[in-house]
Amino acid sequence: MITFTNVSKVYPNGTKALNDVNINIEKGEFVFIVGASGAGKSTFLKLIMKEEEPSSGFITVNETNITKMKRRKVPYLRRTMGIVFQDFRLIDKMSVFDNVAFAMRVIGAKPKAVKKRVNYILGLVGLKEKAHCRPAELSGGEQQRVSLARALVNNPSIIIADEPTGNIDPEMSFEIIELLNEINKQGTTIIVVTHEHDLVQKFKNRVIEIQGGEVISDSGTVEEKAEVPIEISEKELLEMHSDDENITDYDENEIPSSRKIVTEVFVDGEAGEE
Amino acid sequence: MIGLGYLTKEGIKSVWNNRMMSAASIGVLVSCLLITGVAVLLSLNVARIVDTVGKDNQITVFLKENIDDVTAIQKIGPEIRKLDNIASCEFYSKSEAIVKWESELGSLFGELQGEENPLPNAFHVAMVDLSQYDDTVENIKNVEGVDIISDRSDVAKRLTELNILVTKVGAWLVTALGIISLFIISNSVRMTMYSRRFEISIMKSVGATNHFVRTPFVIEGIVLGLISGGIASVIIAFLYEAMVSAVKYIVPIKEIPYSELAFQMSATFIIFGMIIGAIGALISIGRYLNMEGGEILGW
Ligand SMILES: Nc1ncnc2c1ncn2[C@@H]1O[C@H](COP(=O)(O)OP(=O)(O)O)[C@@H](O)[C@H]1O
Ligand SMILES: [Mg+2]
Repeated sequence: MITFTNVSKVYPNGTKALNDVNINIEKGEFVFIVGASGAGKSTFLKLIMKEEEPSSGFITVNETNITKMKRRKVPYLRRTMGIVFQDFRLIDKMSVFDNVAFAMRVIGAKPKAVKKRVNYILGLVGLKEKAHCRPAELSGGEQQRVSLARALVNNPSIIIADEPTGNIDPEMSFEIIELLNEINKQGTTIIVVTHEHDLVQKFKNRVIEIQGGEVISDSGTVEEKAEVPIEISEKELLEMHSDDENITDYDENEIPSSRKIVTEVFVDGEAGEE
Repeated sequence: MIGLGYLTKEGIKSVWNNRMMSAASIGVLVSCLLITGVAVLLSLNVARIVDTVGKDNQITVFLKENIDDVTAIQKIGPEIRKLDNIASCEFYSKSEAIVKWESELGSLFGELQGEENPLPNAFHVAMVDLSQYDDTVENIKNVEGVDIISDRSDVAKRLTELNILVTKVGAWLVTALGIISLFIISNSVRMTMYSRRFEISIMKSVGATNHFVRTPFVIEGIVLGLISGGIASVIIAFLYEAMVSAVKYIVPIKEIPYSELAFQMSATFIIFGMIIGAIGALISIGRYLNMEGGEILGW
């Protein structure tokens, strides 16, 4: 799904952020990237999103060499990814609903499809009741779930999260990673950058450690961890690889049955909390 | 086009959200359009006056006293017509002239008819192009038998010079003000982009195409241009009436009625405004589209 081959990154000011990195992340994996501040973790993610270009080596995403990708194709690459930031990056003046809808609207989704899909996703992250709140009225954990909902709304095949738990308290952090784990079980590839070792240890996921721009350890692909078998419908596979803009026509019926399980899990989860 | 309704709404919203800057750009653009409009209207009117003055103010070419009708018609007339820039050349005999004088001034000249007629034979000559007035007059003077030429078209000549000046100054004004307007609009859109850089960075990270990021800002520019063009269209109508009555107070002129110009003027203002708006916006957008993630946010 994602491969780095002899990738180095030197920023224009001379900072060597990554040095000869080789990584292979399989489809459906959940990977933690750990390392001290300044190790090069964010640079690693930016290279995947094509926000930065490698100085040498090459990167493939979905079997496509993105190093050679034309500029005008980059937006379509990004539509296959959902991105979650440490600082949530929510738009203050928009409601929770509109923040999530924004991601669909700006890739040209039709209003009807937006309404349906956003409500569904907000249910998935347990924020249906907060749809009309402003981000400022939510806790950090809730804000990060909005951010996650936004990342999920366009049905990406990869979720990339840069220190998603950096600004929220430990209990909420656990919840966010748990949520990501559930999403992972449906077949979405997940890459989470974090420097919280506690959190990493609680989950039996693959861990790649970066130090001074180099991979210093890699626990390797975790073979069997899911209680729920990963099953992806043919339709979903097609959607993940489709390069066109027709993710706009979501319909409740089109959501793979495996995703519906997640809805139930979280609707239950919400109920249990109260 | 996908989501054009959404994009248009966004573009219009940001005109309102940035109303201070929008008002400033509209103010400047309206002023530019008005100055341009006044120059154009002035030039059109001068051209019209020159046209009328030129038409009914043909020059009179008086012949030497000893030239008789036959010589004038058979020899001098054709020679004048052969010259460049002659629109018409009609014989005006001294007997015709004295009759006209009499009809206007009474029988005072009664005894001056026939052999006693002191007036010379003449030609009424009209020119094709008044800007070549001097050369043409010089050429006519060189024709054998021509005595003096009445200089009644001087006004038209001056007006033609004025018209050329107005056109030249107008062209410079349009260019200079066009550049200023572009600068102002592009600045206004740049402010919007700056205030929305956060949204732009999110749009890019979720995979919005450049076209999609760009469109609301182009629409903002176009809307600013449209509003300015509309306002300028209304103001110019009043301004024109005021200008005309001010000029009429000093010199009696017959102006072009505004109703004859209104449609073209408004259409030009609006289209010109919209084009300036769109180009102004595009100037600002390029920079943002080439940036990524944190760069957009200035981190
Ligand atoms: N845009 C940039 N220009 C120059 N240097 C940068 C830039 N971004 C990051 N760096 C440097 O590259 C190194 C790795 O940064 P980063 O990937 O952000 O590390 P991490 O996310 O692991 O903290 C750091 O030394 C950082 O200062
Ligand atoms: Mg970082």
